[in-house]
Amino acid sequence: MVIYLRSGGKLRDRLKPDVDIYTRKVEVEGTPTLKEILEQLGIPDGLVAFAFADGKVRRLNYRPAEGDVVTLQPPVSGG
Amino acid sequence: MDGFGGTTLRINLSTEEIERTPTDPELARNWLGARGFVSKILYDEVPRDADPMGPDNRFIVTTGVLTGSFCPVGSKVGFGCISPATNGHADSSMGGHLGPELRYAGYDLIVMEGIAARPSYLYIDDDTVELRPAGDYWGMGSLELEERMKKDLGEDFQIATIGPSGENGIVFSCITHDFGRQAGRCGVGAVMGSKKLKAIAVRGTKSLPAHDLESHWNLTYDILQRTKTHPNMAPWQKYGTAFFVGWSNERGCFPTKNFQETYHKDWEKIDGERLVEDCLVSDKACFGCWMNCGKYTRARIPGKPDTYQEGPEYETIALVGGSCAFTDINHVAYANYLLDNIGMDTMSGGSTVAFAMECYQRGIITKDDLEGHELRWGNIDDFEHFVGMIAERRGVGDTFALGTKGAAEILGQGTIAFASQAKGMEFSGYDTRWYPAQLLSYCTCDIGAHHSKSWTITTDIELGRDTIEGKAPVVIYLQHIRPLFDTWSCCRLFWGELDVTPEEHVESIRYLTGWDITLDECMRVSERVWNLNRAHYIERNGGPGRRFDVAPARHLDEPIPDGPAEGKVVGRENFEAMLDDYYANRGWDRNGNPTREVLEDLGIGYAADNLEKLGHLGEPIPGGIPKVRGQKLKPKAM
Ligand code: SF4
Repeated sequence: MVIYLRSGGKLRDRLKPDVDIYTRKVEVEGTPTLKEILEQLGIPDGLVAFAFADGKVRRLNYRPAEGDVVTLQPPVSGG
Repeated sequence: MDGFGGTTLRINLSTEEIERTPTDPELARNWLGARGFVSKILYDEVPRDADPMGPDNRFIVTTGVLTGSFCPVGSKVGFGCISPATNGHADSSMGGHLGPELRYAGYDLIVMEGIAARPSYLYIDDDTVELRPAGDYWGMGSLELEERMKKDLGEDFQIATIGPSGENGIVFSCITHDFGRQAGRCGVGAVMGSKKLKAIAVRGTKSLPAHDLESHWNLTYDILQRTKTHPNMAPWQKYGTAFFVGWSNERGCFPTKNFQETYHKDWEKIDGERLVEDCLVSDKACFGCWMNCGKYTRARIPGKPDTYQEGPEYETIALVGGSCAFTDINHVAYANYLLDNIGMDTMSGGSTVAFAMECYQRGIITKDDLEGHELRWGNIDDFEHFVGMIAERRGVGDTFALGTKGAAEILGQGTIAFASQAKGMEFSGYDTRWYPAQLLSYCTCDIGAHHSKSWTITTDIELGRDTIEGKAPVVIYLQHIRPLFDTWSCCRLFWGELDVTPEEHVESIRYLTGWDITLDECMRVSERVWNLNRAHYIERNGGPGRRFDVAPARHLDEPIPDGPAEGKVVGRENFEAMLDDYYANRGWDRNGNPTREVLEDLGIGYAADNLEKLGHLGEPIPGGIPKVRGQKLKPKAM
């Protein structure tokens, strides 16, 4: 299955975007969780604060569906 | 001078003399603005034995080179003084619209000294500058006063105020503007109050001269187009910083019950999603910003009046919500309102109440000290009553008005061990026991513990949370790059979250000013400021410098009791080893004193002369100082 991960900030270099400057196309087997997908890509999950898909907040146990566009939000220092 | 308003105001509040001078081009170029101006002026002008709350302290309102420009986002204004909390250099900034308005009135910098004979406010309407009697403004809450002054003077005035807390000299008093933007840290509001200055009102209708306006604008336009589709934009617009409560909690660094714990079991009741669902009224932005991370909210608690406030953002949720163990976002938002209106920094204010709650838990203070009230974890009525005691300095409130360190020194009984502060200023909203670089950041910070100068939670994750290796140089790099935004006086979030590079900020400065300036030069200014502040601190407080880079015992010795970081603690040996590494990488000696070589390299040899006279100049480093001080984090192999 193919999903699209998007990220900016410190995470972007880790993600290695290939679709546009923010987006990477990722092929995964089965329906893994985001945590498992990050593991597959070698991205420490501690560097992802949360994900955003379909206008909704998603935790790392979220299982993306075919074609999902998932934004990975890096953590930041507070205001 | 292109890029600047052009005028510096000097005001003697005691004599009411107001002097206008052209802004010094050398000061502008060598110190760039805001935090840099504050550092240099305090060092040059404030007698080393001056009382922070006395007439000889300076109270500085300052813009930076990017304030009011098109560069994203020149919304900030800085305030500076010797801090009553730390007895050292203080700079604290806020967004909103005041800084740009000051520039459009033609002013880059206002330096005030003395103490007004009666409560006053500073009125600036372009070329008209007056000290006016505050009358019945004195005594009003910050938020209420801003509304009143806008009615009295006109909606187009930008207003900054202090509340009763600042009037009464509470050391963690803040300055408020735009109904919820604060210069919160270091007690700048207390110094403003000590000057008997209740408010500053500014209207500016002029323009800022730019060297190459077209290029300056085109650069910003390109950034605007690029960042509109940035992946971080939508989540930031929806939640602001409040969203990171869950992440921080899951990483075991969310301060809970005065940092006794680092995992708040009810975090979902006080996080960003709850805030947006239950309380959000509208988004809110500073001058020139298209990210609008501010969240204007309503708090509803049965039996209490509804309140409207900006926030709470992450730090307030952590240090009021988590640290005081609230379990309802409405209570956190209401507490946010109370502190904002009374004029207390929500970070140090929340921390100080949490510290008092632990004192109550341990029986160190009792109902007898609390006018018959209790001070229970997560109880909004107890919180409200106690904040009132502090603000009016009633009974034991007078003790806690000094912040956690000052209160612990009076209370004794080992309370200093659980006062999470460095140099007298309370920690930001991240526990450090699994994050050693963050502990180093807090304890070496030139204004007291504050994440804005170095935030390393993700650095600790990248390099390994159980190691101290390689962290000191990264802390130093961050202590130069992050405060640079306080010096340029623009919002750091466009760099951190939207990938607008520091090089682009410098390009913007070049177009604005015509200066042939580089990022390296700016980083040197930032390092110069850091070292001058260090020298100043030692000159005021005595040496050696290492004596002041002290971590609270809780963070060194007390393992985290449960949650994701269970059993973690930094340990004294590790902390001392990090300090050694830090000093060596800064070009300071093992006592934490700056050396002549580093001070001269940065063009502030006069500080070496002064330290030498006092016997606190660093010993020369065998083999010399490092050529480059600080190291950008290199992510592990990808
Ligand atoms: S991102 Fe937030 S703090 Fe920064 S300028 Fe915009 S509204 Fe203000």
